[in-house]
Amino acid sequence: MPPLRHSLLLREVQRIAKDHSLLLTLLIAPLLYAFFYGSIYSYKTEEEVPICVVDDDHSGLSRLLVQQINNTQMVHVAAVTSLDAAKESMYRGETQGFLYLQKDLEKKVLSLQQADMVLAVNAARFLPSSDVMGTITQVGLTVGAGVRLQYLQKKGMNSEAAMQEVMPIKPDFHPLFNTRVDYGTFLIPGLLAMILQQTLLLGLSGGTAAERQQNTIGQWARAAGNHLSAALWGKGAFYFILFAVYAFFFLTVNFGILDIPLRGNVWELALVTAIFLLSLIPMGIFIGLCFRSQLLCTQIMAFSTYPIFLITGYSWPIQQLPEPLKLLSATLPITPFISLYQGITQQGAGITDRMPVMLHLCALWLGYTLICLLRMKRTFRNIA
Amino acid sequence: MISTIAQIALREWKRILTRPDHCLVLLVLPPLLFFFYAYIYNKEQAEDLPIAIWDEDHSPVSRQIAFMLEQTSSIHIAAQAGSQQEMEQLMQQQKIIGAVHFPKGMETDIKSRHPVHVSIYSNAASLVPGKLVYKDASTVLITAGAGVNLQKMMKTGMPEGKAMSLIMPVKLTVYPLYNPAYNYQHYLVPGLITVTLQMMIIMVAVLLINMEWKEGTMEALCALAGNSAGAIVTGKTIAHLTVSWVNYVLITGIIFPYFGLSHPGTGPQLFLLFNLLALACIGIGLMISVLAADVMLALDTGLFYTSPAFVFSGFTFPRWGMPWYDQYYANLMPYTPFLDAFFKLYFMEIPLKYAMPEITRLLLFIGFTFFVAVFFLQIKMNKSVKHAAVTP
Repeated sequence: MPPLRHSLLLREVQRIAKDHSLLLTLLIAPLLYAFFYGSIYSYKTEEEVPICVVDDDHSGLSRLLVQQINNTQMVHVAAVTSLDAAKESMYRGETQGFLYLQKDLEKKVLSLQQADMVLAVNAARFLPSSDVMGTITQVGLTVGAGVRLQYLQKKGMNSEAAMQEVMPIKPDFHPLFNTRVDYGTFLIPGLLAMILQQTLLLGLSGGTAAERQQNTIGQWARAAGNHLSAALWGKGAFYFILFAVYAFFFLTVNFGILDIPLRGNVWELALVTAIFLLSLIPMGIFIGLCFRSQLLCTQIMAFSTYPIFLITGYSWPIQQLPEPLKLLSATLPITPFISLYQGITQQGAGITDRMPVMLHLCALWLGYTLICLLRMKRTFRNIA
Repeated sequence: MISTIAQIALREWKRILTRPDHCLVLLVLPPLLFFFYAYIYNKEQAEDLPIAIWDEDHSPVSRQIAFMLEQTSSIHIAAQAGSQQEMEQLMQQQKIIGAVHFPKGMETDIKSRHPVHVSIYSNAASLVPGKLVYKDASTVLITAGAGVNLQKMMKTGMPEGKAMSLIMPVKLTVYPLYNPAYNYQHYLVPGLITVTLQMMIIMVAVLLINMEWKEGTMEALCALAGNSAGAIVTGKTIAHLTVSWVNYVLITGIIFPYFGLSHPGTGPQLFLLFNLLALACIGIGLMISVLAADVMLALDTGLFYTSPAFVFSGFTFPRWGMPWYDQYYANLMPYTPFLDAFFKLYFMEIPLKYAMPEITRLLLFIGFTFFVAVFFLQIKMNKSVKHAAVTP
């Protein structure tokens, strides 16, 4: 059996070398995508989200508020202007909202009357609007605490006692496993896993469809001695080796360059990645055998990227998906893989912490191997 | 000339309906994918995310705060933890997404006027649920703190209004415009649908010319067009533009109303913008198809060019947060100006004049790509005619 697999591996190398499309998909795309997509999030988080301020108070307190907001890393006060100009600026897309400070704001605060400020944000874009909202809320709370502190001190309380009185319950935020709560650290590991899967599936299914299109299935079967398992793993060996190298490269070079921590055990990660690749190989060959045209297969597979990513549970919790989509998600090897991979790389979890997920991945490996072998049996029989 | 173009358009419609690589991508996949995207976010918001309570105080105050946490939309208390280690383990086992820790002696400290630190832990490796849990938990704790202050001040004889103004001297009222409930379906689905549609148009348009050469049907097409590249490009463009209208009707007439995503009154502006995107995508596809004779290479080029459009356009992560070279690349895709204009016309429902800069950029895309496509196709056709003339 081993010599057969060796010859199949060489056959696959030769086939890919002759096919420009496969060369591009399997050798250039994974690396290009990994650096290309990764670079988007290299700053990890957005900063200096532009907003306008409409200051109808023109007081020391309103100027202090504007200064405090502008001093934050997240918000940039692009202009202090009129209400109409602020709206116009948001309509033109130059700013993401505006803060309105009412007239007599300082006077009201000094006379112990509640003053108002109004923040209008463009919530059509989630990330900037929620970041602006969070930052300005925080500034508002800080200013409020400052006012209470001064009031208590004026009432004769010493600084230490006044400080204790200002905020009786103080929330302390401890974001675990992504301490800066940044978008890059969250998204890059998932994107790299997705690039690994999609380029492998595109290349392998496209290559397999090309075998049908070029009538070389018989040649493939003969090279494997008409042994289904040898045909599957002999062809898959090349993809396994290539994508294992890519996985290693992503986890060392890309994680290193983009400063993404790898918190868990690397051997456990290697084992999980190996099983993931082993389940993708029969899945890719099975998909490829369903097509007679390499072009159509590539076209259809190209549209699988977004739907698959959106139901893996990475960007949107699986528990929130409708029941039929939960089931569909459970049939994809990337769903258990991404849970294990994210747990190991980002949260320092071990396989034992997520044993049911590991068993799920293994079951999918066996399941896809079985359906692929059955499909190959039918195809090989038809050719014979 | 008009009848020639009409004949080419008719021929192209037949090709669209009979070729699987056209028909499946342009007519079968769109309803399936668009419905799929909308269905994913049918719940609209993430709710009842599991968290743990690590209560070392076991007091009425801690129980009251836990009760308030449970009342929020995003939080569901699913477990109790006895230590930080146990809490982290629950997170690693994916049983919880966050936790709130009440320290020992919390109630006593509050009553004896010692500030208390209540810790909110969230699994920030899962950004969306982690942020939601933090937002709701911190709101509860700030409210609880304000309640404590209010009681203290009122006990000293301070009127409620004055006490309130001291607790929150500057009240912040927030208006999240255009999507006040932060509805994920309203936010993501229109973007996902439009980005997929541009991908579909380009992925078929890259096959429009090179496939004719490859399958040997170009000669007949040239004869039909009177050897005019302009007529071929115009005829094929009309056919593909009208097919894109079918998808426009699908989106705005079926998907958007069914999932409650419609923005009444935006129809004509949206139709104009949609046509510009469709034309820009057809233009890019035609240009690639003319320049790349290898069909698979053209398809791969189209795929690599269009697939990153969603992330580069700034839909989920703003462009100003990207390095300059990524921002530059984003500007080379028609989806980027389309999206900026789409935000203005669809989400914000503001007049067309605000989208003029983006419309101008789309027109530039259309002008450039169609010019290149027609120019090089004419050269190739002339060469082919010359070659045919000298070949006996």
